[in-house]
Amino acid sequence: MNMLMLLLRNLARGPSTDAFPFGDTFTPERLRGRIRFDPELCTGCRLCAHVCAGDAIHFDETDEGLRFTLWHNTCTFCGLCEHYCQTKAIHLTDDWHLAHLQQDKYAMIEQGVVAPAACAGCGCRMTAPVPALTALAYRAGNRRIEHLQTLCPDCRRKAGVTGGRS
Amino acid sequence: MSFIARISQRSPWLYRINAGSCNGCDVELATTACIPRYDVERLGCQYCGSPKHADIVLITGPLTLRVKDKVLRLYEEIPDPKVTVAVGICPISGGVFRNSYAVAGAIDRYLPVDVNVPGCPPRPQAIIEGIAKAIDVWRERL
Repeated sequence: MNMLMLLLRNLARGPSTDAFPFGDTFTPERLRGRIRFDPELCTGCRLCAHVCAGDAIHFDETDEGLRFTLWHNTCTFCGLCEHYCQTKAIHLTDDWHLAHLQQDKYAMIEQGVVAPAACAGCGCRMTAPVPALTALAYRAGNRRIEHLQTLCPDCRRKAGVTGGRS
Repeated sequence: MSFIARISQRSPWLYRINAGSCNGCDVELATTACIPRYDVERLGCQYCGSPKHADIVLITGPLTLRVKDKVLRLYEEIPDPKVTVAVGICPISGGVFRNSYAVAGAIDRYLPVDVNVPGCPPRPQAIIEGIAKAIDVWRERL
């Protein structure tokens, strides 16, 4: 009797096979897939490249600014980069459609250029701290902190010693 | 198109080579084949035990030096035309084992790869997607 009930229930339920690739499939809410990079939020601390297990993240200096490159073909999707990114410039989306033909192998990258800023003190090129980072470090900003943000590390050090009376 | 080519394009047989994999991708391949939820045989595929019967080769693992010669020998035994699928980031680029003294590195240095399925390991649906792409390549080759 029990088996009959089970049979009837399975008959009513229909096939349990996922319709993919002929139809839709489910995606778990916290699936770690294709990585997105937001250069607006990146401060160029390079912690993501440091913690990357697969050595998938590389930074290099270009004329346009600091360039972030991530190659999905050596990324383990562990999510450490997102975990350690203080400003959440790196985000792992739930897009898992990553299978590709061999000719696209080196096109499977995520790239972004962090625009450089000019130092308010000496005018040199630098990667400016983003507001999200200072909001984390100092809950309420003040005018001095806002001023220090516009300076390069050397000028900031000088300003720190002289108390901002440079 | 000959009769045999016409019928064989509907049933490419799969063959799996473990080139020093950690077994993560192999478990996902077994899941894709054996669990009714994913059931790769809907695509007309079937796993076969002999390289002589294979049409689509699924390679996992970073190609360790210990298995390199064996993998290349096995690959030679598979009759042409064949389609090669690299499953997981290890055969594609070496993955986390890249630059290791014990690993020969990316598999496309030694074999012609057609489809890559990145992931560590890729989820069963991603593997099915890769196999579907491989079947398209397979149809063009026949």
